[in-house]
Amino acid sequence: MDLLLDFIIVGLSIGIVYGLVALGISLIFSGLDIVHFAHGEVYMIGAFLGIAIVSISGVPYFGALVGAMIVTGAVGVVIERVFYRRLTRGGGGYTVAGMGMIICGFGMSVALQNVAYLIWGAAPHPYPVSFGMPIFLGNIALPKSYLYILVSALVLMAVLHTFLTRTKLGLAVRAVAYNKDTSYLMGVNVPAMISLIFGVACAMAAVAGVLIGPINYVQIEMGYLMLLKAFAAAVVGGFGSLPGALLGGVVVGLFETLCAGYLIASYKDIYAFLLLITVLMVRPTGLLGIIVKVKA
Amino acid sequence: MNAVRKKEWLCPRNVVAGLAAGAMLAVAGAASAGVIKIGASLRMKTETGEKYGQMVVDELSAINAAGGVNGHTIEIKLLNDECKSDIGVANATKYAYQDNVHLFVGSTCSSVSLPIVDVIHKAGVPMLIPHSTNYKITLKGSPWVFRVPISSRFSAAAAAKYTAENIGTKIAYIWASDAASQADAQKFYEYIRNFHGEGPLYAEQFQEGELDLRPHLLKIKALQPEALMISAQSQDFARGLVQSYEVGIPPSVKRIGGSAASNRPAPILAGDAIKGVFFHAAFSYVDPDPNAQAFVKMTTERYGVPTPDHDFSQAWDLVQIAKRALERANLTLSDDSLAADRAAIRDALATIQGYKTLGGGVVDFCADATPECRDGNKTPVLIEYTKGGEDYELRVIGKTTFGADFGLDGMQEEAAALRKSLDN
Repeated sequence: MDLLLDFIIVGLSIGIVYGLVALGISLIFSGLDIVHFAHGEVYMIGAFLGIAIVSISGVPYFGALVGAMIVTGAVGVVIERVFYRRLTRGGGGYTVAGMGMIICGFGMSVALQNVAYLIWGAAPHPYPVSFGMPIFLGNIALPKSYLYILVSALVLMAVLHTFLTRTKLGLAVRAVAYNKDTSYLMGVNVPAMISLIFGVACAMAAVAGVLIGPINYVQIEMGYLMLLKAFAAAVVGGFGSLPGALLGGVVVGLFETLCAGYLIASYKDIYAFLLLITVLMVRPTGLLGIIVKVKA
Repeated sequence: MNAVRKKEWLCPRNVVAGLAAGAMLAVAGAASAGVIKIGASLRMKTETGEKYGQMVVDELSAINAAGGVNGHTIEIKLLNDECKSDIGVANATKYAYQDNVHLFVGSTCSSVSLPIVDVIHKAGVPMLIPHSTNYKITLKGSPWVFRVPISSRFSAAAAAKYTAENIGTKIAYIWASDAASQADAQKFYEYIRNFHGEGPLYAEQFQEGELDLRPHLLKIKALQPEALMISAQSQDFARGLVQSYEVGIPPSVKRIGGSAASNRPAPILAGDAIKGVFFHAAFSYVDPDPNAQAFVKMTTERYGVPTPDHDFSQAWDLVQIAKRALERANLTLSDDSLAADRAAIRDALATIQGYKTLGGGVVDFCADATPECRDGNKTPVLIEYTKGGEDYELRVIGKTTFGADFGLDGMQEEAAALRKSLDN
């Protein structure tokens, strides 16, 4: 029983991180109708920025978290405004311009990785924070970093939910995500909303990067595997669904950890993608997705 | 039809072009006479890698500055293989067939050196290995391969012997998918099984760069081992160590590393989690031997590295061995003598005997294309971390020297299979 609880704690901690990156991917998909293939690198840049901020004397871990969110969000807005805007004007989704966006995303991924290499080098960087020894509940070890992950994710989800459902700006974002042309006609500043969506999505990736930092290390190649897992999470949860992204992350994290725990641990990554394939076969819309043949 | 083709070939424009091309080739050939070409392919992903790569270049340049080798100058080319086998093979192929090097130096990683052996064997280029430890490299039986570092059949056995005699035999193992880490763990648990009759409590492989090793570690925690071996490159090793404490494996369970645990990033990344961890290596910067301390002084002053690891020391040893062999080799260094020069360097390397490394081991090579002759150093050093972080500290636990044939019992079948693949 203790072992099962241990696996659940570990699965939740990594699943929430997958979910946060998947949340950004889903946000961008809902706003721009594109799959952002550079999102793993945005997550990596966010983690590096977190290290840079936490290294400034006196800045606490949560200060670094907020700082990395703000700066990465701003970087996201710049990326969208400078590079993606021209392509999104031509449309997204299953259009030629949409394909251009995907290719541009791949290019951006390589570009961001090289920018990070030039600034921080190829060596992995340890996170300069220490949470001390885990809290022991009987035989169960509960590292404090996991608690930070859980609390941060819950707070962020609550803030994002409130923003999207209780504010005028959130309403405008949802309107743009649903139909850009109608939003234009209703007086919504669509380009500004798209920039906002991109910025928020990148900020979410930064949070994931800063939260994973103390468990792992920060290095320029960290985004690739995370992106794949986050895609799995987004698809399992329902592509484009924000609660679905976080739920998908938790499901993927728990599933792969439990399978690794009770089956062969060496195949941990395979379990996540087996789940992805199964969900696509049985319920292609994902857990919380809805069947939409052509987006409005 | 053929006559017409012949006529076209002999047109004045083609004749002039042919003469020009011939002249250019002649000039290129003349320029390479008297030059010993060495191609090196190393892992230079990090600042540490770049620095020992630079040290190799500097040491060889110093030989030129002192008059060269028997009047010949050395031309060194250095490429980064990033510890990726495809890049390493491309580098080796380029050196062997395009640059026509006389000696190949590389690679740092066993996963890269293993496929390179096939390339250099077919091309007939002597290969001097600075860091790769996987026992299969020399078991392949290529007459062109010479290894300066300690084969995993010696080093893992030394660590296993120490563990069995001082800690216990209930050991859990996890290892990364790279060739060096696999071999370290395999040779470790084979020793415990063969000499102490205890199989591994837990033995699983994980992918290099795996983010989350906690499912493995939780299972290991439940099995209550006496020791945990994490055999992986420095980054994965450090991650495993940190996560082993996160999941609550108690400090009383001794943590053990493979040869890559000696690499400088490991203690920096692992921080306090590395304290008490021991591993096997070829060199320790705390060795009081005057030669070792003179080397530490040199790396501190020249490269700003006060705590050089065995990647540094073995790269330096390699240059000294290469210099001795080149001095002994009867080289013509003309356009037609490439194959003969390569063979001469190979034969000269095979005469290296009694070279004392910075770590205290002795490198002996001989002519047979067997691991007994080509695994030069047989003296692993056991080292323990007493402090982690940027200013990490070590202590030497001990050294032991093995017989040349140690660990080869029962490996005839594997050796035959490897030789067969080499000849295909």
